[in-house]
Amino acid sequence: MRRSLPATLVVVVGLILLADFVIVNRSLAAVAGTLLEYLVLLAAAAAIAGGLALAMRHVGDLRHARGDRPGSLLLLAGMAVMLVGGFFPGSGGADGPLVRWLVGALLAPLVAALFALLFFFLLAAARRGLRLRSRETTVMLLAAAVALILLLPLGGVAGRWLAAVAGWTLDVPIGAVFRGLLIGVAIATAVAAARILLAIDGTVEE
Amino acid sequence: MMARQRGWRLAVRRDWRVIAPFALLALLAAAVVLPNLAPPLSLANPDRTSASGFRAAIAALPTKPLVLVAFDADFGSYPEITYATRSVIDDLVQEGGSLAVVSYSPEGRALASAELERLRRGGMGDDRLLDLGYRSGVEAALVQSVTSIVPKASSGPIAVRIRGGGGGIDAFDAALIVGGGDLGPRIWVEQVATRSPELPLLAIAPTFLWPELQPYLASGQLAGLLGTLRDGVAYGVDRADGADSEAAIDGPPSALAMLLGMLVAIGVLLEATGDRLTSWLGEQRLARRP
Repeated sequence: MRRSLPATLVVVVGLILLADFVIVNRSLAAVAGTLLEYLVLLAAAAAIAGGLALAMRHVGDLRHARGDRPGSLLLLAGMAVMLVGGFFPGSGGADGPLVRWLVGALLAPLVAALFALLFFFLLAAARRGLRLRSRETTVMLLAAAVALILLLPLGGVAGRWLAAVAGWTLDVPIGAVFRGLLIGVAIATAVAAARILLAIDGTVEE
Repeated sequence: MMARQRGWRLAVRRDWRVIAPFALLALLAAAVVLPNLAPPLSLANPDRTSASGFRAAIAALPTKPLVLVAFDADFGSYPEITYATRSVIDDLVQEGGSLAVVSYSPEGRALASAELERLRRGGMGDDRLLDLGYRSGVEAALVQSVTSIVPKASSGPIAVRIRGGGGGIDAFDAALIVGGGDLGPRIWVEQVATRSPELPLLAIAPTFLWPELQPYLASGQLAGLLGTLRDGVAYGVDRADGADSEAAIDGPPSALAMLLGMLVAIGVLLEATGDRLTSWLGEQRLARRP
């Protein structure tokens, strides 16, 4: 009984949401709306639980002197500053001026700087990847070089020609591969969902 | 003598490896601050199909439209679409539009906060700008927004207008989706377009999403799409050319800096691939020897 309850719940909730998607009915919509509210609440609770688990993990690391202690300290300090900024009386929560400043003046530039480093890291990784002597790496990097050449921001006739070829490459070969991938993923997801809804998959019960 | 020469060569190589990233950084910084020295450079896509299609979709909106801006870009790819996003938002503002901004991802919310701040600094008041905040629950929250999007605490003329239109996404004249890796226009087409088929969806997304979004544009499920950096720049540049007053947004990314960075990358990739091919040929030659 204990094992079949989650499976039953998943099947019932899934079927109600599916029915609401295809049938226009006010009562059904109300039930589906309530279920969606529970889902949203559950997601919020999961986010809070995740934050708490992270904080507890790093407090534990500090107490037992294990792992990267300066990193743990920095993480906890960052969380504390952000929470103080949001919970300070009259601050306005996530829209408080301190939170906005922390995001706009600290977080965003730091993340942007981190992503800017990707250019150098990717080039270094490409060189190292080739040293591994993988034929696939060579093909991949040659393709990357060709893509870069096609995307060169040139003007004039050469620029127009390169842009036309780049557009064709994006629309036809890359588009075809990507769409094939997406259709494959969609079919696999639909099959997995159907297995769960028809209760022929034991995943939920485990 | 030979050993000393080899040592010197190794030292030069080692020093060069240390200096090279800094030299590249200095070169790129110089390229950003210098004007485009070579006139034939152009970051804007010469093919204006996407840009003009997007402009036509905005022109098709009613006068003074009420637009929902779904801001779910991510930190990694937002620099690629910043110029396009600001150009489109500025266009909507110039058209007399009212904007309501919502986010379904934490990163999107952080970026939306900065953009809201920018718009408020630009003089947009609460009569034309409404912050609908962050909604947790990703797709579930998005589905919920179809019928109810205004928080109970929200007030002001835009909140009243949305509530008057039913309180959900249907109350808007269009949705502008600023997408990223977490939550992109595809999810909007799947979850919102199926429930509110009359709502025009305009999307701005980084290049890596183009292959999955292009079919939605072709089928008309997306009314407009700026899906590459070059399309975004083309839209912004055309807009700036046609504007009566100078645009209140930053210019597009530097084409010269972009070109230099790309040439360096191409050089490194080709050099490394050449090294690999040379060593492979050497191995093959050795293998053939009796």
